[in-house]
Amino acid sequence: MKATFIRFCEVIQSIRQTRGNNAKIRLFADYMAGLESDEELNLAAQFIGEGAFPELSGKRTSVGSRTSGLAAAEFCEIDYDKVFKPCRTATGSSSETIERLMENIPAAVEKRNPVKLTLAEVHQIAENLYQASGRDDKKAILWSAWERMSAIEIKYFIRILGQGSLRIGFETRSVIASIAKAFESDRESVRYAHMITGSLGRTAILARENRLDEARFKLFHPLSFMLASPIESRSVEQIEEYVAEEKFDGMRAQLHTDGKKVKIFSRDLNDITRSFPDIVNFFTKRELPPAVFDGEICVYKDDIILPFQLLQKRMGIKKPGKKILNQYPVLFIAYDLLYTNNRPIFDLKLTDRRALLEQITGQFNVPIASQNSLTGTDDVETLYNRALEHGNEGLVLKLKESAYEYGQRRKSWLKVKKPGGSFDTVMMYAHAGSGKRGGTYSDFTLGISVKDDERYEEEFIPIGKAYGGYSDDELKKMNQKIKELTVERYGPTLGLLPKLVIEIEFDEIQINKRTKAGYTLRFPRFRAIRWDLGPNDVNTLKDVEAYYQQSLEKERLPQHKNPSFTFG
Amino acid sequence: MKFQKTGYHGLYFPELGISLDGYHPKAAYTFVSHAHADHMPRNKSTRAYASKPTLELMKLRGFRGKENPIAFGEPVETDNCRITLYPAGHILGSAMIYIESDSGTLLYTGDYRTPPSPASEGFEAPDHADFLITEATFGLPIYRWKPYEELTFQIQSFAKESLEAGYTPIFLAYNLGKAQEVMHLVAPLDHPVMIHGAGYKLCSVYDNYGIELGNYSAYDRETCEGKILIAPSSALSNGFASNLRKTRVAYCSGWAANESRRTQLTVDKLIPISDHLDFFELIAFCKKLNPKKVYITHTPNPAVVQHYLDLENIDSAHLEMEAEPED
Repeated sequence: MKATFIRFCEVIQSIRQTRGNNAKIRLFADYMAGLESDEELNLAAQFIGEGAFPELSGKRTSVGSRTSGLAAAEFCEIDYDKVFKPCRTATGSSSETIERLMENIPAAVEKRNPVKLTLAEVHQIAENLYQASGRDDKKAILWSAWERMSAIEIKYFIRILGQGSLRIGFETRSVIASIAKAFESDRESVRYAHMITGSLGRTAILARENRLDEARFKLFHPLSFMLASPIESRSVEQIEEYVAEEKFDGMRAQLHTDGKKVKIFSRDLNDITRSFPDIVNFFTKRELPPAVFDGEICVYKDDIILPFQLLQKRMGIKKPGKKILNQYPVLFIAYDLLYTNNRPIFDLKLTDRRALLEQITGQFNVPIASQNSLTGTDDVETLYNRALEHGNEGLVLKLKESAYEYGQRRKSWLKVKKPGGSFDTVMMYAHAGSGKRGGTYSDFTLGISVKDDERYEEEFIPIGKAYGGYSDDELKKMNQKIKELTVERYGPTLGLLPKLVIEIEFDEIQINKRTKAGYTLRFPRFRAIRWDLGPNDVNTLKDVEAYYQQSLEKERLPQHKNPSFTFG
Repeated sequence: MKFQKTGYHGLYFPELGISLDGYHPKAAYTFVSHAHADHMPRNKSTRAYASKPTLELMKLRGFRGKENPIAFGEPVETDNCRITLYPAGHILGSAMIYIESDSGTLLYTGDYRTPPSPASEGFEAPDHADFLITEATFGLPIYRWKPYEELTFQIQSFAKESLEAGYTPIFLAYNLGKAQEVMHLVAPLDHPVMIHGAGYKLCSVYDNYGIELGNYSAYDRETCEGKILIAPSSALSNGFASNLRKTRVAYCSGWAANESRRTQLTVDKLIPISDHLDFFELIAFCKKLNPKKVYITHTPNPAVVQHYLDLENIDSAHLEMEAEPED
């Protein structure tokens, strides 16, 4: 029997409608256990957790919500701007809107004649979309697919095309649990196999065939990073069990080498090797034995670690020229070792990994982060201040006994970060939320004043978009106020009278030439709704510029004393 | 025909000396479509004309003005016009208000539902009106309601399956109208029902007019386990049935058509049963009545309805009222 897409969708729908994680896991486990071929199992696991294509393939169908929305509006014979967009605003979901229009509008019902496509056929349609270029070609493929689907298939088909989560409250972790349950495997081994293969489909097949132990770590395939939790949210009981490293003002990276070849991966596991030929050069020259390092890329010049903002100039550039390389020289500073002597070592405890790391960095003169033992909170204070003097972001405290918990954010690593900056801004636009926040305005464009700025005609210009940091109650109150302030409506976006003042918090300011202000904020979020302030009280662009200059020019301590890293 | 807004949600007709769903000092007659808060006048000086059940419900919800009951289909003659109530199918007592005057005829729908709610007097409308003032709460083509048989089946099987699995079913339904409709639909199960206090006190009016609500009593925390429970959606966060470990919750509302409500309310089932008509019925109704002009109220999306009326060559305008669409 061939596995049909409609059956898959029905299972997805019942997972969506089921409360309780274990019940959801059971549903998908039962479904997978009933699939016959490897191909079907592969696609089912991939569709639910990764999308139309394997995550590792980096392939995308490039069917955005505008493409599918326009195609659907035309299919249903309705006006895209006048009808489709308000519907999407009301539901907060493009795919749900399309599902319901397909079901409700007679013209769409007439065109459709569901034929129970198989999983493989749906995958083939996605492949065709990937091959097609241009909106018209894609539209033709979408139309012929929709003509053969029921409304619910259309909804999940569109979500699968988007790659990533299906937004049914069933994330990768749950898929892994289902695989373990379906094939009676150990959950930890399934997780490990997924980590290594990077593929849910492949993992499911290995689990079914009882071959999970074949999944092995391979050089030049990135491994998910271990992440640090903010220290505020975790209380540290035994400070002596931790060591401290400075949290570098740079970019997290994973470096793989076999002596000849070097590959560098970013935190989202993208290959960024080409942007950093100087680092590649540094490592190939040294001819290391096969190794994988976790560490940080920093701009480093004249004994000083330079601001992250300067590293930004390197990040977007695929092939940096000589000038850029000389202007912003970078260094890879290692602080963990994941693979050595031809085997992965992430199960070893930190102190043992560190010993091996020191051995290699010592032998080959590779930069290594300084590690400090802790005897009390006073040490944390001293080291933290020193880190800030170096221009770094703070500290990371690492539990000495901990393994390298790839892909996890737990208590073993704790970050002590400097507090961010804050500005008073005015709310300029409100955007309809999606998913969980559908039906409310939950994302807000915030502006700063340029009233007395001769470079601008406007009174206010946007400085950032924030969508968090407020309570449900505050969101409700803001939505009421927004109703009164609305002067324009652009689909899901409302133009507001600039009256409501929001105090926002952010980690950092960056230059961004594509914005009106010329700057963007990193991680902007609400600190408070300032009902007590008016639009005349908000910060100006000059304030933003001054803040940026200050952060750039702040003196940074050179590395020759109490260094945050050493050369091997 | 001239009219203007009065109060938060009423209309005043200066030439006719009447008002609809709102008090006006110069109006000798105030016609009230139904007893929901966004339609009910509150002023003590109001001379309210409405169906008998509507007046009884209004009284229970705090109306202290003068009550003048009128029957459906029996016109009231004023100096300047003739008014007739038509059953609106929205909740018990709900009426559409039909005005005949020298300046033409006008139908004011209040809130309405066609096909009508089984817990109402049914639905009936005049064949034609020169002007139509219509609500459009669900004025988007994403809203198309399932037939009552299917909705009844969903409601009954949710209750049955929950009870069989050892869970206490809770239906989240608005106190007046939806709550009693759900009770009416589960009555054939012959299982005891408990309803939240605010809705309980309104049930007697339904009893009086012969709507079968089954075997029900007021919510009692200590004995509610294993009963079919009915409460407004706000009740859950205020401790309603919080002593029960095994409950299943269904949200009954037209807004339940939107998936986002699932996570916003944390419910097990969304049952899109509305006491308003859906988008397609709305457009069909406008076409059938064929008025010279349609005024659209009670909607966040007047432009969409207007767009479809344009396609039918029906002139229309948005009449803005301050009201929260309750369903």
